[in-house]
Amino acid sequence: MKTMGLFLGCNIPLKLPDIEQSFRKALPELGIDLVDLEGASCCPSWGTLPSFDLPTWLAVSARNITLAEAKDVDVVTGCNSCFGILAETKHIIEHDEEYRKAVQEKLALINREYKGTSQVYHVLHALYKFVGPEKINEKIKYTLKQLTIAIQVGCHALWPSKVMAIKEPNPFFPTILKELCEALEADVPHYSRIEACCGMGGMRSTNMEKSLGLLKEKLISIKEEIDADMIVVGCSSCYLQMDGGQKILRDRGEIDFEIPVFYYTQLLALCMGFDPKQVAAINEIPREEIIARIQSEERLKEKQEG
Amino acid sequence: MYEGVVVLNEKDRELAIKTIMERGGDGVLRCIQCGACQSTCPMAFADFTLNPRKLIRLIQLGFLEEMIEDSSTWACQACNRCVEICPRNVKPFEIVFAYRRYQAMELAFSTSAVQSQMNLYMKGHAVFSEAYKETRQKVGLPPETPTAVSYPEALKEIQTLIENSPIMELGLF
Repeated sequence: MKTMGLFLGCNIPLKLPDIEQSFRKALPELGIDLVDLEGASCCPSWGTLPSFDLPTWLAVSARNITLAEAKDVDVVTGCNSCFGILAETKHIIEHDEEYRKAVQEKLALINREYKGTSQVYHVLHALYKFVGPEKINEKIKYTLKQLTIAIQVGCHALWPSKVMAIKEPNPFFPTILKELCEALEADVPHYSRIEACCGMGGMRSTNMEKSLGLLKEKLISIKEEIDADMIVVGCSSCYLQMDGGQKILRDRGEIDFEIPVFYYTQLLALCMGFDPKQVAAINEIPREEIIARIQSEERLKEKQEG
Repeated sequence: MYEGVVVLNEKDRELAIKTIMERGGDGVLRCIQCGACQSTCPMAFADFTLNPRKLIRLIQLGFLEEMIEDSSTWACQACNRCVEICPRNVKPFEIVFAYRRYQAMELAFSTSAVQSQMNLYMKGHAVFSEAYKETRQKVGLPPETPTAVSYPEALKEIQTLIENSPIMELGLF
């Protein structure tokens, strides 16, 4: 059993708590115990302190990491912005003497010290490293045989690879989320815009139309090339865009299809048999039908194997 | 003077480069304008005025103020594709963010940045939703999050860090 500090961020606990619930349900059964990091703040996200003052960004991020250090655990987070920010912070502090000094001086103001004893993991990376596709497959109740998944990893879990403890062999052709979905026995084909940005984040708050333009291209690529039954994301911001942004495009008549979206651990929890009212309850694009198909008698793994 | 000729000023050049380097963009002089960053940049795909390659060129030539009102830099996703593939270790993303920091301290940022900054200072979360307790209960979680918004002493620490930073000069809070 490994114990990890769950870093929640903002979107997951405040807007998408069904994703939080999917971590709390699925991970302990797979051998990852979660402890809370009480008092953790926003990472802080790219549009806030990182856009204003570099040392202050690093100090607020480092404070968050010290919460895990105090509990002697590694950090695990499901938000890609949080992962990118915290991993980048750790990398800068540990490779740049000047910034490290500046951060320690700032942390001294609140009686804290950065030690560097906690590693930072994305939840996909933690599942891949500490559980692995084989064990995930052993633990599922329902399989996704003959269902097609389009994966969307999310930028900050891919680049820059130099700041990450777990690396993709080639981040421009990501395979970790693919293997984790294959562990649920789904088909996970390649599509041409597999690594393309969904358009969320700073782009969406700066220019909504340009942001939705990127999303539309990506969705059409998914529909026309692999006709996916669902989109599976590894990032809570991608979730908001691929689900909520897709609804906007659909309502405007810019696309004439709907593809349900899941965060990976939501799908994992559904395959493990957890209640969709708890682990997959907040969405714009309807998911009821696909959830009923997933949690159906004929998909029971023991029946298929029996 | 020939029409269409731009006169470069060495002092402007020095100031531009110093401003960006001091704010985290230390690779700016290594750029040879190969365009690898632009070839993989979501900002470029979405057709914003600026992309890392163009911004770096403006800085190298000393046109620091030229694009101060342009909001393209705020559309940067911080995705770091450019950092991954740059053959000269320029770290273009860090230059885009260094330019943002220059813009921010000159008060050239969007209102959306103000709201999230305020949220961070007041609640400890850049993204905040008043209805969160109800949403959490609906999915079977306790209404309170184990995060800064539920811990006044944690919020105080975050406020102390922000209060001891140059951001206070902007008079946002």
